Amino acid sequence: MIKEYQGNDMIVAENVDKYYPNGCHALKTVSATIHRAEVVVVVGPSGSGKSTFLRTLNQLETVSSGNITIDGTPMYAKETDINQLREEVGMVFQGFNLFPHMSVLENVMLAPLKVSKRTKREVEDHARALLKKVGLESRIENFPSQLSGGQMQRVAIARALAMKPNIMLFDEPTSALDPEMVGEVLDVMKSLANDGMTMVVVTHEMGFAREVADRVLFMEEGELLVNEKPDVFFDNPPHPRLEKFLSQVL
Amino acid sequence: MEKTPNKLFWHGALLAVLLSIAYSIVLASQSIEYTWRWERIVPYLINTEPKAEYAPFDGVATLSADSSTVIVEPENGDMPQSYDSFTEIMVGDGDLVFEGDVIGSKSDWRLGPILNGLIVTLQISLVSLVFAVLIGLFVGLARISSNPLLKHLSLLYVEVIRGTPLLVQIFIFYFFIGTVLDLDRFTAGAAALSVFAAAYVAEIIRSGIQSIPAGQMEAARSLGMNYVQAMVYIILPQAFKRTLPPMAGQFINLIKDSSLVSVISITDLTKAGREVVSGTFAPFEVWFTVALLYLVLTGALSWLVKLLERRMASSD
Repeated sequence: MIKEYQGNDMIVAENVDKYYPNGCHALKTVSATIHRAEVVVVVGPSGSGKSTFLRTLNQLETVSSGNITIDGTPMYAKETDINQLREEVGMVFQGFNLFPHMSVLENVMLAPLKVSKRTKREVEDHARALLKKVGLESRIENFPSQLSGGQMQRVAIARALAMKPNIMLFDEPTSALDPEMVGEVLDVMKSLANDGMTMVVVTHEMGFAREVADRVLFMEEGELLVNEKPDVFFDNPPHPRLEKFLSQVL
Repeated sequence: MEKTPNKLFWHGALLAVLLSIAYSIVLASQSIEYTWRWERIVPYLINTEPKAEYAPFDGVATLSADSSTVIVEPENGDMPQSYDSFTEIMVGDGDLVFEGDVIGSKSDWRLGPILNGLIVTLQISLVSLVFAVLIGLFVGLARISSNPLLKHLSLLYVEVIRGTPLLVQIFIFYFFIGTVLDLDRFTAGAAALSVFAAAYVAEIIRSGIQSIPAGQMEAARSLGMNYVQAMVYIILPQAFKRTLPPMAGQFINLIKDSSLVSVISITDLTKAGREVVSGTFAPFEVWFTVALLYLVLTGALSWLVKLLERRMASSD
């Protein structure tokens, strides 16, 4: 178990650079600090590096240079076990990535059982409570292929929460959904934000950003250009490129 | 409007084609004046030849009153031995018998050489199948590993095995490796088959794993699972399901390829067939029987795999 961290800075990224093997410079010296219980939304045009940035925060992408500290633990320190660190950081994907060979309940229970070594009874009670929270207690015996997109994404959120993470990362969680299902997923995310979860959300839902975010980040071509409170971000865009971006999406 | 074919007509046509093939086989065998003697095959499937009972020592044979039991009393005054349930008794009351004499024969049945060969084929196929899966799983995982040593070694293995004939591999395993490691022929044959099939199994497993979307591994890792846990709980179960159909084809090939081990004198179904041909002079009957028995094995296997596939389809 990672030692209990009481500080306020949950995610600290310092001068993060990322080059892909094909030479693409995906992140250009990105620095950001995300505080406890903060909801940070990252927006930007496609290919701006926002998903790459999110994926460096649980090391699905390793950085080429720079430092990331999660929950007080330096990610690239020798003594850091990345698997332990990932238990602290839940992730929700654009494509859900549910395990298709397992029922909804098994999807949620697998990692806590195999990774956290909690008792089956405790894990199952927790899983059922989480599925109730996302409104899917009636579907626990179903397989993912029997669910709608919105339901799948809510299971994916419950699955990530089952590890009792301190941070949740959302990588375009509503982009693969039919429009009528976006709301149900955003509602779950809002209630999570109200519970005080630290969240980083890459999304195109500007309404969600304005309503829920404590801060909004704007990225373009691998650079972090704007890091502002939503009212300033949307009403008083401090960067001409953000202004142009907002005029295109709003 | 959608046209539905007349089922009765086409099934009738199928039957007609099959019957005409059968008839042409009959005609063909008549044209070379071949006499079918299916009854000659039977003893080579099930041997019902009576089993002889031999006298264990020199002595005097005594028949019981109803002639059902033979008692042999040894000359040296030891305990007499009694034998019964004969179908045919070869000694008379009071006859002198010597050690090794036949005193009678009992009805008995044993598996004939063809069925014994079938069992050997089944054994060598099963053993090879298990090892092919184990080696293939390891090589398949090594193929997608990021370690250059594992990756290139496994690639070399697959290329070498797939690029050389199985028959040559069997000879190498028997004459070279078998001699060096002092293997018996069954082990050498099974090893050659395992190593051969494993190369194909490895490629099937590799492509199965690579067909699983990368997001599955990412989701598993993001939940804190290590690489091995993600493989065991997430990737391999899904890959296994996808690889079942090609795997079944490979296993069927393995059963058929096992006929090649007859060249190193393993008495499998094929070798037994060859031996029986020289004993019966009924080559057509023997080879048709052998083919049918192979078909039974492969048919049973593909039926099993279908059953497994249906059971695993529950999450689709």
